[in-house]
Amino acid sequence: MRNLTSLLFAGGLGFMLLAIASGLDFGAPPMLVGGAIQSTAPQETGATNIVTSVVLGYRGIDTLGELSILFAAAAAAGLVLGRRHTTAGTLTEGGFVLKHGGAMLFPLLMTIGFYIIFHGHLTPGGGFQGGVILAAAFFLPLLARPGARLHHGMLSVIEGFAGSSFILIGLAALSEGEAFLQPMLVQDTLGQLVSAGTLPLLYLAVGLKVGAELAGLLSHLAQTESEV
Amino acid sequence: MMPEISLELILYTTALGLISIGLAGVVLSRHLFRMVLALVIAEAGANLMLVLAGYRWDAVAPILTTLGEHPPMVDPVPQAMVLTAIVIGVGIQALAVSILIRIRQRYGTLDRSQVAERMDAEIADTAGIPRDVSQESPLGERPLPSLPDSTVEIRGGHS
Amino acid sequence: MSDLIVLPLVLPLFGAFLLPIVMRTSISIGAWIGPAILAYGCWILGDQWMSGTALPFSLAIGGFAPPMGINLYIDSLALLFAFAVQLLGLLFWPFKIDQETARRQALMLLLVAASTGLALSGDLFNLYVFYELVAVATFGLIAASGSSAAYASTIRYLILSGIGSVLTLLGIALIYSQTGTLNLAHLAQLAPEQLNNKLGLTAFLTILIGVGVKAELFPVNTWAPEVYATAASRVSAFLAGLVSKLALLIILRLLVLIFHQPEAVQVMLVLGILGVITGELAAWRAKDVRRMLAFSSIGQLGMIFIALAIPEQGGLLAVLALTFHHLLIKSGLFMLADGWGGAIEKLRGAAKRSPLAAAIFVLFSLSLIGMPPLPGFWAKFTLITQLAAQTSPLYLIGLTVFLLATVIEAAYLFRLAALLYGPAAEDTPIDTIPKPAGLSLATASLFGIGLLAAALFITPVGDLLSHVAGQAANADLYINTVFAGTGGSQ
Repeated sequence: MRNLTSLLFAGGLGFMLLAIASGLDFGAPPMLVGGAIQSTAPQETGATNIVTSVVLGYRGIDTLGELSILFAAAAAAGLVLGRRHTTAGTLTEGGFVLKHGGAMLFPLLMTIGFYIIFHGHLTPGGGFQGGVILAAAFFLPLLARPGARLHHGMLSVIEGFAGSSFILIGLAALSEGEAFLQPMLVQDTLGQLVSAGTLPLLYLAVGLKVGAELAGLLSHLAQTESEV
Repeated sequence: MMPEISLELILYTTALGLISIGLAGVVLSRHLFRMVLALVIAEAGANLMLVLAGYRWDAVAPILTTLGEHPPMVDPVPQAMVLTAIVIGVGIQALAVSILIRIRQRYGTLDRSQVAERMDAEIADTAGIPRDVSQESPLGERPLPSLPDSTVEIRGGHS
Repeated sequence: MSDLIVLPLVLPLFGAFLLPIVMRTSISIGAWIGPAILAYGCWILGDQWMSGTALPFSLAIGGFAPPMGINLYIDSLALLFAFAVQLLGLLFWPFKIDQETARRQALMLLLVAASTGLALSGDLFNLYVFYELVAVATFGLIAASGSSAAYASTIRYLILSGIGSVLTLLGIALIYSQTGTLNLAHLAQLAPEQLNNKLGLTAFLTILIGVGVKAELFPVNTWAPEVYATAASRVSAFLAGLVSKLALLIILRLLVLIFHQPEAVQVMLVLGILGVITGELAAWRAKDVRRMLAFSSIGQLGMIFIALAIPEQGGLLAVLALTFHHLLIKSGLFMLADGWGGAIEKLRGAAKRSPLAAAIFVLFSLSLIGMPPLPGFWAKFTLITQLAAQTSPLYLIGLTVFLLATVIEAAYLFRLAALLYGPAAEDTPIDTIPKPAGLSLATASLFGIGLLAAALFITPVGDLLSHVAGQAANADLYINTVFAGTGGSQ
């Protein structure tokens, strides 16, 4: 009975929302803010990827908040799972393909991860996407050899410095008399690899932080055994 | 009066359907891990809804490929927001899973009502009061059904 | 000078990122980072208040003029809240040094930063981001107490708050689809034409339920008793005292600026009334101190929701009075619960063991019930006059429930007070009666002193609050400040 009521409720909610959403003008968004950003972003930030301008420029503080959320989640997971990692042979060794494939893929994944981070202001991609690929590169050997360990100290140093350099870049603008997180050093080289001023630096910080954070979280989850 | 089936209808139905399925899943599941998974589904629906907010017919991705004139582009703001929302979701899910691992180790179960019952018992115990009768268990004494062997074995491992 | 207002928001994040590295080399240096940052934040915000910078003002982050960029909106209310966040962060600082100090202190810094962001931000999606950061940091801090029950209550809270964030995100998507903007001031301009319809109402309700999770709104408050019963006292105090009020602040801004439909207000009134009834009755039935306080805080927040249903200056004055009153009292009471947290029965004769704690408890109780001349009387009286002035019968029901709730409150608070001052149970030697820890008792006394000071200077405090309420109720001022202050205009 309770199940039926909740099903009916969820279905009704869905239909009500659908009725309301169908009143929206689909395919022709108002573009009030979006349109204004599209026309000014290339001049103001110097990045051809306008999503990057929004993520790091116009809504840069959102990105800072989101990095903090990842950091908070990793810290909280660390608190919950504790520091003890005993990877006694509960997980089986990876097979031939996984072991050697993982080893072979590692440099490729690193390259493509950094490529995506460095071209975030020009092409689709950026710090988050690249960071996830970096994390995957470090996680693959862990799957292949469960006994192997990630260097957690190293990871936390990377994530700390990456996160604080994001803020330092923002504060540098503040100390120059501009607003916090204001893009600086915007050169007139739209579309070049070295363009968009501080944005690629911010994306590098984002990428390293996301990579370190996710790798830490994954290895925490993979290596957790019972507490006692 | 069959409404015309348009792309718009399909997309909105998908997004809102995912949200409804997810919310129903959270309410109906008896297993905590499934509740977390249902939440992931609902979140996907909300993110899709956000992406749809910026969609434009016949428009390209908001990346400049040529200087000067460019074709109409979709709204970049929702895309940036979805990126943010997805990463937030990932963080919360990872945290949820790590907490679930600990609960499984301590309580030996992830069944929603059993976990709730044990939690109530533990709270009452630490406070030092006789237990409240929980909503989900009937009044009066009733022998608990015996646990399956596998559960007992795992529970033997903790504390 | 006003540029520096971003520092109380950013420096805690900076500190949190660096803390694990510093702690690795030297714990004794690292232990000072957090308090130093919070003290500096207090100083900046206090200085802002004292220096008499013209309030309100708006600060565009990244130098992008709103509505394209995100702006911080600083009026007296936001400044007051931001200051309270930094100060309470300092008072509830987790000083304990052990293996997990770095993580716990980092989470506390993140919680403070996110709460400051909630107080200051003027952008809907940015508020959502900070709201989620508050949530995640909170989960970590609750779970940090390490008991199995804490993990179980955290995951139940996490799932409920996940539902809330899905609904909030849905509401934001609906609003953005309709208007194409997220800036609160810009939305306030567009709302009369574009959001004064069913879609606007739906968006408001989804956001109300979503944000209501933290504000302990009626149907989504089931987490409160179990979380407050399992988390560390200072965490409960921060959550019940401050975070719930910040969620209320979001709803207040939305109501004042964007959503003016009568239905929106009515829904909130009904949910508030239900919250008061269920909360106070459950508090009366509760057998342990922590859950009694948790349920009582649900009831109190229900009262604030009732007050919020009068979105004019008078109603807002009642909201602010109740809010800051509850902030002082509930934080103090939860600090007393650190040590007194167990069953109510165990506290028989506790006044002999710790007379100061018992006296503070009675002071808080009297003010909570609304005994003149304590500030609680003034706060409740403001609400009663406001409710009585309304014509709709729903408000009269609200008034009746409010008065009844006060009676129930008096019943359970005095029952506990009578136990405290009653004779100890015969078989318990006086040394075994629980007593609050020294540091917690000192913190609670600070809140008690604050309460007494407010009672002494009730006239200036009242004038200040009505000035703040007037500023917060003025939607035109908000719009003009945001678009004039940064040069950009629509």
